[in-house]
Amino acid sequence: MKEFKNVKRLSIGPAIFILALIIAFLSYERSENLYAMDAASTLESLTTRNYVISIEDSKQSGVVLVDIRNPYEFENSHLENAINIPTPDILKEENQTIFKEWKESNKTVTLYGKDIEEANIPFLLLYQLGYDNLKLLNAENRCVQNKLRTDPTNLEKPIANIRAFIDESIRKSKIKKVVKKERKPVPKKIVPVKKKKKKPIEGGC
Amino acid sequence: MVKKKLAKTSSFRYVIFTLFLIVIAGGLIFWYKAPEPEQEGIKVEQLLNDAISSERYISTDQVAQKIIGEDPSFILIDVRSADNYETYSLPNAINIPIQNLLDEEYVGYLNQSQYDVIFYSNDNFYADQAWLLCKRLGYKNLRVLEGGMNRWFTTIINPTVPDENMAAEDFELYSTRKAASMYFGVVYPEPITVEEPIVKKTVPKKPAPKKVIPVKKKKKRPVEGGC
Repeated sequence: MKEFKNVKRLSIGPAIFILALIIAFLSYERSENLYAMDAASTLESLTTRNYVISIEDSKQSGVVLVDIRNPYEFENSHLENAINIPTPDILKEENQTIFKEWKESNKTVTLYGKDIEEANIPFLLLYQLGYDNLKLLNAENRCVQNKLRTDPTNLEKPIANIRAFIDESIRKSKIKKVVKKERKPVPKKIVPVKKKKKKPIEGGC
Repeated sequence: MVKKKLAKTSSFRYVIFTLFLIVIAGGLIFWYKAPEPEQEGIKVEQLLNDAISSERYISTDQVAQKIIGEDPSFILIDVRSADNYETYSLPNAINIPIQNLLDEEYVGYLNQSQYDVIFYSNDNFYADQAWLLCKRLGYKNLRVLEGGMNRWFTTIINPTVPDENMAAEDFELYSTRKAASMYFGVVYPEPITVEEPIVKKTVPKKPAPKKVIPVKKKKKRPVEGGC
């Protein structure tokens, strides 16, 4: 009887242990790609940190260039020494290990796409995963005759003052209206002149 | 006696063994659950999937149409600075500078399922950032105005006049955009040149008195004849 009790205890222990292992294993599976920062702290560091890098600064040593465009565009032309990691593949295990290695070796990783807006999405995503060694290349990359042309861009710079443009168009139209008013009295003046002509004829009689 | 003691200690040993396993199991659970509280919002993979599709973009023409049609199903969020917002912004837009995006007072605008939320900035760089952060938090119905205020200017406010060689659709698009820009306050000099012929039309009415004048002349002749 006593021995039977012992056996029961023995089976409960491992059962719980195995259960815990399963739970731990499942939670480990889930934790493959985890956010290292919450949304609020990401936003705060985005507004305080300078994460945009110019073309000149990207040529320094210790800067790794990552092309996030698709492999076809990369094959066509790319910046010198750039590595191609397309945006849809950034969360793949092998790419994550590459990013981790770069972070551990303190390399500045610069992302670029066809423009800075395109690189913005993978940058923000990786940034929230805790890769704070990332930068964005402030440049526009266009393929001209199988060569990549890189031009600096003005990030978020307004191209025109829309309010001023609308006011200007209204002002212009007002000037025209004034001209119209001046024209109207002119035909009025002609009419009285004709009347004057009639009177001298009558006087002559 | 010895047997009994052995049985007692052995049973005690099992209790200790069980407790030890429970402690380890509990420890394992704690160990792996530790990073979980930080995981707010949707999964990283889900966020990436949503971010790489261009479905979030809405064109300036669509937005103009919505505003003119007084569509009640959307709200516009201007994520630029307050200065920019005051200088010029879209009608009925709400200003949430990007650094204040997650402030509690604005959660009501962003985290709801009733309206489409359309973010915009000068380009779509900051609007995309706002979109991604809100999307991560699981907010629904988020859109981004493609090209932002700069494209709004080049397409709606100041549309480029199509070339003669361009397709008829371009002319159609231009006329709708021009009509839209007039809705948003732009006044064109051309409609006034159309008005000017109307002024001229009133001038031909004045020759009508001229016809009256020859009638008066006829009156004079009988007077002269009588003399």
